[in-house]
Amino acid sequence: MPTDTLRPRSAPGVGGPYDDGPRSPRTVRLITAGRVLARSGAALSWVAVIVGALATIVPFLWMLGVAFRTNSDLYADPARLIPKHWTLHGVHAVVSQLPFGRLVVNTFVFAGGTTLLLLLFDSMTAFALARLKFRGSNVVFLLILATLMVPFQVTLVPVFLTLFHLGWLNSYQGLIVPRATSALGIFLLRQFFMQLPRELDDAARIDGANDFTLFWRIILPNAKPVLASLFIIQFAALWNDFLWPLVVTNNVDMQTLPAALTLFSSQSGVDHAALMAGAAISLSPLAVAFLVLQRWFVQSVATTGIK
Amino acid sequence: MHVSHRRIHGYGRAAAALAAATTVSLLLAGCGDNGAGGGGTSAGGVVNLTMLTGFTGPDAPSYQALVKQFNATHPKIHVTMTAEPWATIGQKLPASWATGQGPDLATPSSDPGSIFTYIKTNSVLPLDSSVGTGPTQIDSAAFPAPVKSAFTVDGKLYAVPANMATLVLYYNKAMFAAAGITAPPATEADFVADAKKLTTGSGGKPSQYGISLADNNTIQMWPILQWMNGGDIIGQDGCAVVDSPASTDALTKWSQLVAKDHISPVGQSGADADTLFSAKKAAMEINGPWAAAGFTSAGIDLGIAQVPVGSAGPVTLASTVPLMIARTSKHPQQAQEFLAWYTGKTAQTQFSRISGFPPARTDLGSAVASDPTVAEFAKALPHAKLYLAGQANATSIDTDAYVPLVQKIERGADVASAAASAAKTIDSLTGCHKN
Amino acid sequence: MSSTPLAPGRPRTRRPHGPRPSHRPRRPRFNSAYLFILPSVLLIGVFIAEPIVQSGWMSLHDWTVGESHHKFVGLDNYTALYHDHRFWNALRVTVVYTAAVTAGQVLLGLAIASRLRRTTWYTALLRTAYFFPFIASLVVSGIVWKFLLDPQVGLVDAWLSKAGVTPPDWLQSTSLALPTVIAVGIWKNVGFTMIVLLASMQQIPPDLYEAAALDGAGPWQRFRHVTLPALRPALLFTTLIATVTGLQLFDLVFSMTSGGPIFHTESVVMYLYQKGFVEFRMGYASAVAWVLFVVILAVSALQLRLSRYRDAD
Repeated sequence: MPTDTLRPRSAPGVGGPYDDGPRSPRTVRLITAGRVLARSGAALSWVAVIVGALATIVPFLWMLGVAFRTNSDLYADPARLIPKHWTLHGVHAVVSQLPFGRLVVNTFVFAGGTTLLLLLFDSMTAFALARLKFRGSNVVFLLILATLMVPFQVTLVPVFLTLFHLGWLNSYQGLIVPRATSALGIFLLRQFFMQLPRELDDAARIDGANDFTLFWRIILPNAKPVLASLFIIQFAALWNDFLWPLVVTNNVDMQTLPAALTLFSSQSGVDHAALMAGAAISLSPLAVAFLVLQRWFVQSVATTGIK
Repeated sequence: MHVSHRRIHGYGRAAAALAAATTVSLLLAGCGDNGAGGGGTSAGGVVNLTMLTGFTGPDAPSYQALVKQFNATHPKIHVTMTAEPWATIGQKLPASWATGQGPDLATPSSDPGSIFTYIKTNSVLPLDSSVGTGPTQIDSAAFPAPVKSAFTVDGKLYAVPANMATLVLYYNKAMFAAAGITAPPATEADFVADAKKLTTGSGGKPSQYGISLADNNTIQMWPILQWMNGGDIIGQDGCAVVDSPASTDALTKWSQLVAKDHISPVGQSGADADTLFSAKKAAMEINGPWAAAGFTSAGIDLGIAQVPVGSAGPVTLASTVPLMIARTSKHPQQAQEFLAWYTGKTAQTQFSRISGFPPARTDLGSAVASDPTVAEFAKALPHAKLYLAGQANATSIDTDAYVPLVQKIERGADVASAAASAAKTIDSLTGCHKN
Repeated sequence: MSSTPLAPGRPRTRRPHGPRPSHRPRRPRFNSAYLFILPSVLLIGVFIAEPIVQSGWMSLHDWTVGESHHKFVGLDNYTALYHDHRFWNALRVTVVYTAAVTAGQVLLGLAIASRLRRTTWYTALLRTAYFFPFIASLVVSGIVWKFLLDPQVGLVDAWLSKAGVTPPDWLQSTSLALPTVIAVGIWKNVGFTMIVLLASMQQIPPDLYEAAALDGAGPWQRFRHVTLPALRPALLFTTLIATVTGLQLFDLVFSMTSGGPIFHTESVVMYLYQKGFVEFRMGYASAVAWVLFVVILAVSALQLRLSRYRDAD
């Protein structure tokens, strides 16, 4: 488990062998013309990697730029990244039409609450699937895996009707509960739990621990990194989900920020600043969190993925 | 995957667990009760009505202002208007209304044809009982004729126009002056000549286009070009006429102008077309009243004129958004009172002034004449036609037949065969049987 | 995939020799495992499984949402689907998109990960950059790219024009629209693949490379015979996720092209959306959904199957 992805000292072999590899006596002899070729190839590949990285970032910089420039400034020179004439009109158009504070609170309640509940339920299920023996575990696992393959649009209408019958439309529980488990989460956690040493269970059981203490006191504390990764992945996914909150709620006081901001991305007018401001605002909390926690973020996603 | 080395005899239990879960959901499903409207009555005897609209654009404040004024003048009724993207409304409204959860009032779609779906599912209230000329009655006789007929199904009125728009010709005065053209085109021949003359640059990528035409995600512009010289899409009998000689003549002429003379870019969405005109890269655009403010703020020396007249006489496209009452609304009386006020003379005059839209009544021409822009849109009203009016499958006809047809011929496809195939699709959708 | 060791030579964590008290003395009366799985199974049952079954039932009807009576039509919707050119086109678009994005995402991710393998301040910076699009929603990505590629106000065309290149009609051209959407799809997700593969690479013990080098293996051979085998579980994971999400393509085309021009980017879910939520033909849309569901199941089963066969050797 690469808990130290980004730290130089964690690379076990102290760098050397990865890119070009240590040169054995035999290969050294071959390095003449080939070396020049390889060198220029390496240089080219670095150029490609850097250009690619710019291509991932420039769109977001441009989005920010457009959010703060006037339309005529944009039309005059679309090749500029940085506005010549600054305006807060776009941000103002977005903020003035929405109950901003309420939306931010809702988004945190929805994305945060759902993610926490999801972590609990998913880890419980994953624990049972990975560490306990019970009849039907294969079927349960396969069924859970199969749900990963269902487009949301397929279940939208039936789910809506179910929520209606439960009386959960327009409520926090309606927003949160149906999303509080995820096949992906169970899948990832199960993989992780299976790799924890069995000795942990054995030692705990000798001390008289039952399944619940084992889960709560031993397995969960050992799973902190993977839980953190899952938290981030799910939190981002739920934060970005706009269709679900729009379907479950029908007044703006219950909606989430990205859901409410779709108003600005759906209009076909020519107000580019408002459109990009809306996009930027919905992205910015995640972006700030990501940049601040960037080391931890990148590394924790990595933790999840490898299993 | 850990499948092979686990024993298989667990199917029964898992299936039982799943069945239990399903049963629970079914039991829970039985507990709900029907008929909860969106609104309610508050302690002070004020009736609360909810209204869901798709007005998220720059014109949204105009509608809000109207609702606010209604609330101010009707202390016993309070209307709350919310706006969501049209796409979202389309996804949730059918189920919300079917379960009685939806808003009391809603604009289900920007497409008037959408009313058929809601009528078919018995989700909306017929309004006939409150039609009349009294102060709290809906004066449907004053609606523009095509609107009234589009909202009347099997003899019953189901919707009122939430707005009314006509398309006019916007033009860039500076570009016209630079090209030495003194007046906007009044005839189709001038229209074509000006569009060509105003297209400058070379090699298939002009630096300035004569006109900005859109073919997808837009208010339709192409039907006007067909209507101008007597073409159409669907005839009175529900059979396609998009492949009639007059229709294909028009389609051929304009698709050649686009494909060969490059008077407009190909494949623009409505937003693209507006951007092109706003960015001063096109001299003309056919569009509705919602576009005026954006064009002006983009710094364009804006001219507004009637759509040029072809051999079939003056014609333009009208669009209207239906506003309907949910059948499950607990306060149908108050909802109808709101609609009556909303479509009344006072509200429509005021709405017209703040939004720049023409009034949704034919008897207010003089009341809005003072504003030259509004007057221009109102002037187009008598000869404005709705796109695919009265077609229950209008949405399918648009996406499956008409839009692909225009997109194909703009890209150089053979007009006759493309029109014939579109006609075939249309006939299968309308149920027309030619013999 | 999970049963394979992460990397060769890494001590396995399963099954120490000796007694396993955790499994043997299971009391026969009640298994607490069922309590553990109850919440998830209940939620999945109520909010996913039951709706799927219900949509299967809907697909056998002429079903309009809100109508009180739905006419039973048997397999008519499926028969109609079989003759529906637009559906086959959507399926083709979806498969092409999925194959291209999965391949692009995995191969590019692998290439970038190999390049950024060593951890320094600049590779950390580059990793962060590559990962950034992953946290943006697909809708925001789609909107931003649609504007970037706009012929009038877009940055891309403006820069190309400055460089003296005539920019192509990215999203308006019938031949370029799908490749453009594919490129954006790869752009969005390549960072995720890269990070997953990078993490897996960090687990490969360096002595394997040293041993290979001693045997005279060149960089390519070391990559082929040491790196690739060790990455297999991670590669399978990323391929599977990319395939499953690719086949459900919706947000990106919805915000970039709405399926146009002339259906050249219309995906299956986009078509399903059109039928179900624009035309309100829920029965037909459900039939589309079920066919897609079966396709996704089959493809993932195939991928898992293939990978397991190779586990054997």
